[in-house]
Amino acid sequence: MSTTATQSPAPGSQLTDALARDRLGVASVVFFVMSAAAPLTVVAGVVPTGLAVTGLTGIAIAFIAVALVLAIFAVGYVAMARHISNAGAFYAYVSRGLGRPLGVGASWVALLAYNMFQVASYGGFGAIAQPLFLDWFGLDVQWWALALVTWALVAILGVRDVAVNGKVLATLLVAEIALTVVFAVAEIGADGFTASAAPLDPGTLVGAGSGALLVMAITGFVGFEQSVVFSEESRDPRRTVSRATYIAIALIAVLYAFASWAMISAAGADQVVARAGEEGPELFFNLASGQLGSAALHLGHALFLTSLIAAMISFHNIISRYMFSLGREGVLPRTFGKTVPGTGAPKNGSLAQSALGLIVIVLYAVMGWDPLVQLFFWGGTGGGLGVLLLVTITAFAVIGYFARNPQGEDVLHRVVAPVIGAILLLVMSYLALSNIALLLGVEPGSTPALAVPGSFGLLFVAGVLWAFYLRGARPNVYEGIGLGARSATTGGGGFAAALNEPDGRR
Amino acid sequence: MASPPQLPPADDLYLTAHDTPKGKALLSPATLGLGLGAALLGELMLWRRVDLVDTDLVVIDERPTGDAATSAVLEQLRREAGQHGVRNWLAYLSTGIATDLVERRLARVGLIQRVEKRGLLGGTKVSFVPADSMTAGWPATRIRTKASRDESLDVADLLLAGLILATGLDQHVLATLNARDRARLFDQFRRLFPAMLQQLVAQAEAAVGDAVMARRA
Repeated sequence: MSTTATQSPAPGSQLTDALARDRLGVASVVFFVMSAAAPLTVVAGVVPTGLAVTGLTGIAIAFIAVALVLAIFAVGYVAMARHISNAGAFYAYVSRGLGRPLGVGASWVALLAYNMFQVASYGGFGAIAQPLFLDWFGLDVQWWALALVTWALVAILGVRDVAVNGKVLATLLVAEIALTVVFAVAEIGADGFTASAAPLDPGTLVGAGSGALLVMAITGFVGFEQSVVFSEESRDPRRTVSRATYIAIALIAVLYAFASWAMISAAGADQVVARAGEEGPELFFNLASGQLGSAALHLGHALFLTSLIAAMISFHNIISRYMFSLGREGVLPRTFGKTVPGTGAPKNGSLAQSALGLIVIVLYAVMGWDPLVQLFFWGGTGGGLGVLLLVTITAFAVIGYFARNPQGEDVLHRVVAPVIGAILLLVMSYLALSNIALLLGVEPGSTPALAVPGSFGLLFVAGVLWAFYLRGARPNVYEGIGLGARSATTGGGGFAAALNEPDGRR
Repeated sequence: MASPPQLPPADDLYLTAHDTPKGKALLSPATLGLGLGAALLGELMLWRRVDLVDTDLVVIDERPTGDAATSAVLEQLRREAGQHGVRNWLAYLSTGIATDLVERRLARVGLIQRVEKRGLLGGTKVSFVPADSMTAGWPATRIRTKASRDESLDVADLLLAGLILATGLDQHVLATLNARDRARLFDQFRRLFPAMLQQLVAQAEAAVGDAVMARRA
């Protein structure tokens, strides 16, 4: 029943009342954001693997630091979402704030980053499920076979109705959060627990390896940027989404910082790196096993797997909609702008993502590469790096946009917070790029350390060049970049194409 | 062969979107609602009751149309004139209001029949099935035939064809058009379809895309 200053609905308006019933509240948006964040995947998967690969223990303080920076960034980000269409896609911000060429570059970087998360979760599922299946069912299944089963599940859900699984995801998410808290508390009660200052040492944020820590931490927050998708669907356009964003960031930060602090303290800060190397994703569960029965452990493992599946579904939906939006705009082939009429699922983007996922799983299986470190961890942190770079350029886009369109927002929202956020993010990006070898656990200058940032750079430049090509060859398409599927004149599907483009294609 | 009469565009769109003997919808409820909402608004433009000026719907003639469905929408437009843009009207009509109005109109003339089914959990599910599957398939056939013969479609059929594209129904009913016929149809949109209706259909298409992005479709 909230009203806003921007839209003052007339009392008793049937239209306003009817639309208000469908609007989303804060809780729905928080749920949606956190399902992509997948708490157990981060706490039991990313954190122990990161400890083993990098040997850095300051992860808890890194979660908190990243949360603060993202919250400052979110002030301007959420404000700008109220003024542009197609919010929820970083490239829409970049197009509007820094120009269309950089926007297209950002869109391609985003596709790669989200796809890295997606394939990472396939690898993580396979690697983590393999020993569990042996334990539970006595089945020794190859990791890639298990990964392919979830791949098929995600692929099928992707081209069918996507709304069906919303309630299931929410239930699993609540269970996951509760279980993470219970396990972390149990670890505090474990033998050998000594409250450690190492995970919370702010010194680690300025020391060697700080960039690696920050990227690991930001990986846990990815998905927060999706809150703005609901800018126009929320009960109160000025408050719902911003509150939901801050709440989600704070919840994630507290949960992850607490759980990783408990885990490192329970193992002992001096031993946790070695134990993480030996026990991998089992570490979080092993440390709590003394306090909790085997039933709790089995439940934890089961939720760990569903957490990975939830993350897969989330990222798959994000990717297919990104491609849908780009297809509607004509930045990608128009065919990606098509949906399954009966469900609204963006099928061609979904199929393309599934094809890529299949190729990566098969490639890793054939080459015999390690699914846990080389797919799950590299993919996850590589994607985290990509999102960090995107958030950084988006922060500058927010400044640029409000410099030209200052109407409707105060100085805090359009100048102060965006500038502080942009500077902090720039520092984080610099640290991340300079720590990339440490983050991946490889030699500086080796192939992975060059390939991960290099591929983002390459795609960015290619996207910029593509935009310049569009400007010359297809000015209609170029004009519509960043306006999204919402744009009636340029960003449509078949009908807008029919109006704009003589052969109905182009 | 006597062809069934041309119905109002919203009715033709409804039948096209339920082109099976069982009356199963080819569109999701949200997308169908957006298409039918735009069709009813388009009918009001054809009745010369409403204009689309930029993104606002302006009532230019308050007299009822002689048809219950469009008159009901017109009455609401008149009461809340100037308060909401066309996209809000489309969103509002798509919440089931447009579908309900069109179903009643079609049921009244006997083109669809109300069927009640007992659900597993005791409740009854009401659905509508086309009374005659030939009639139901006719609107799409008419468009395909005219496009392939390069005959001009009238404005009502252009509205229908535009909304078939906007809702993605073309994947079902216009898939058999070859590239040349498609190009001819598209050419008609540019030459023969009034700008105001072009804008309306484009807004409906954008709303469909919007629903996909916000996971409402």
